[in-house]
Amino acid sequence: MSHALRVVAAEALKQHRRLFGQPLVLFSMLLWPLLTLAATYYTVLPVMESAVAPQRWPVAGDPRRLLSFLAAGALAYTFFFSLVQSAWHFSFERVSGTLEALFLSPASRMALVIGNGAAALTQNAWLFGCFAVAAATAADVLHVAHPGMYAVAALALLVPAVAWGAFLNSMLIFSRDSAFLYTLLDDPLWFVAGVRLPLFALPVWVKAVGLAFPLTSSLVVLRGALLDRADLGDLAAPLGWLAALTVGLFAAASALLRLGEARAQRTGGLQVF
Amino acid sequence: MSVMAATFVRNWRITLRAYPWTYFVGTLATGVLTIGVSMLAYRAIGGGRVGASFTAATGSADYLGYVTVGAAALTFTTRMVLWVAKAQITEYREGTLESQLLTPARRLPYLLGVTAQALSTTAVEITVLVAVATALGVRLTVADPLTLLAATVAATVAVVGMSVPLSALMLAAGEAHITQNTLFTAMALLCGFTFPTSYLPDAARWLGEALPVTWALRVLRAATLPGTDVDPWPAFAVCVVLGGAYLLLGLSILDPAERRALHRSARA
Repeated sequence: MSHALRVVAAEALKQHRRLFGQPLVLFSMLLWPLLTLAATYYTVLPVMESAVAPQRWPVAGDPRRLLSFLAAGALAYTFFFSLVQSAWHFSFERVSGTLEALFLSPASRMALVIGNGAAALTQNAWLFGCFAVAAATAADVLHVAHPGMYAVAALALLVPAVAWGAFLNSMLIFSRDSAFLYTLLDDPLWFVAGVRLPLFALPVWVKAVGLAFPLTSSLVVLRGALLDRADLGDLAAPLGWLAALTVGLFAAASALLRLGEARAQRTGGLQVF
Repeated sequence: MSVMAATFVRNWRITLRAYPWTYFVGTLATGVLTIGVSMLAYRAIGGGRVGASFTAATGSADYLGYVTVGAAALTFTTRMVLWVAKAQITEYREGTLESQLLTPARRLPYLLGVTAQALSTTAVEITVLVAVATALGVRLTVADPLTLLAATVAATVAVVGMSVPLSALMLAAGEAHITQNTLFTAMALLCGFTFPTSYLPDAARWLGEALPVTWALRVLRAATLPGTDVDPWPAFAVCVVLGGAYLLLGLSILDPAERRALHRSARA
């Protein structure tokens, strides 16, 4: 166990050194999400100002609540998207020829992919901080049942995100093409997960697809805990589902890594890109 | 003219041999999902109606048409910029910028050739997007075909005008990812693609006014929004003048940018 922890720490440190301080992080984690958040807010505003909107969705009637709803969505989405980005960076290992070296080392494979995703997440801690400060200074936006719910919200975002990252990273053992990750998981992800709309506005089949992504339930917990004064009892269902998803994703990642490694040993494909 | 034609033919050959499907799916998804979110919000939350501020700002209550046209225009702009602004940094990355500099071909006809080819593929992509939107139930009207043609011309001038300085910037920085995505997210906010610019705070609105794309969109609205009786020609004129100014600025800084890119690859 302590060996695995050391691998996680080393891999996370490596990723941190590679990524942090790069201008890309500042742009993709702060500037672009903020600009997109503003554009989304203005795009849906005409609908929210319609006479019937506040009856159908109380949040619509108050621009500040609407903005905090969308901002929570943008925050969680950026969190999860940073893992897509970390998987994208993981694919560079293949290009630079170090993927094979990683698999020659006795390091636990699972620890490697977790470490890789964890680094992306720690870099987002400050993002979470910015959101919390901004929300706290905007009066009357946060509605929290008790301080413990902050921890619940943070964990419901962090733990599934790490599992999601491990899963994405493990998929890249098979594929040389990381562009599909960017394409498939960028826009469709925010659409099905209810990042920009409340879930009741989505058609049933979209909701069903969305449930398969941990972001959807993480977001339900985040918004419930921080904006709607929900306590543990109110959020039991999404939290339970999140736990199941997290376990499932870790299991899938572990299976994929084993299968992928066996296949790579047979085909010698790890250094091909 | 021969440079333009040769570039056109070459880029079509590249496109046919290795079509960038990922980019296509990515930009199409952005457009379709933007329309999708607006549509769901409009039906499930707005109850098929919009607030008075929108009608006052646009002169029309056709929210879905407005968003659809805007999403199509954003797809057009994104795709065209990806082609035109990235043409030279792609030459640089593939190692052919030196050859381009050695030929006696001038830069403007080359870029126009890229533009012409990009227009022909983008037209197909926009058609797909509009077809999907129509299948989803959006009804689009073209009040005045001549104005629509003018809007296409204006949008092309605007996009080429903005792409040339951007191309110089990318060459000088040796980087495209950050530059292009910052431009795309900023334009989506400032130019009034999916909402009227009057919603923006004053400072952001003025920034938007300085971009030719904002003016091209006004011409496009005059052609596609039922119930607006805005004269599109002043906006058309502003768009062409602004686009021309950006183009001239871009051409004048392209030379030093190319020199800088060459020095960098010589050092590497």
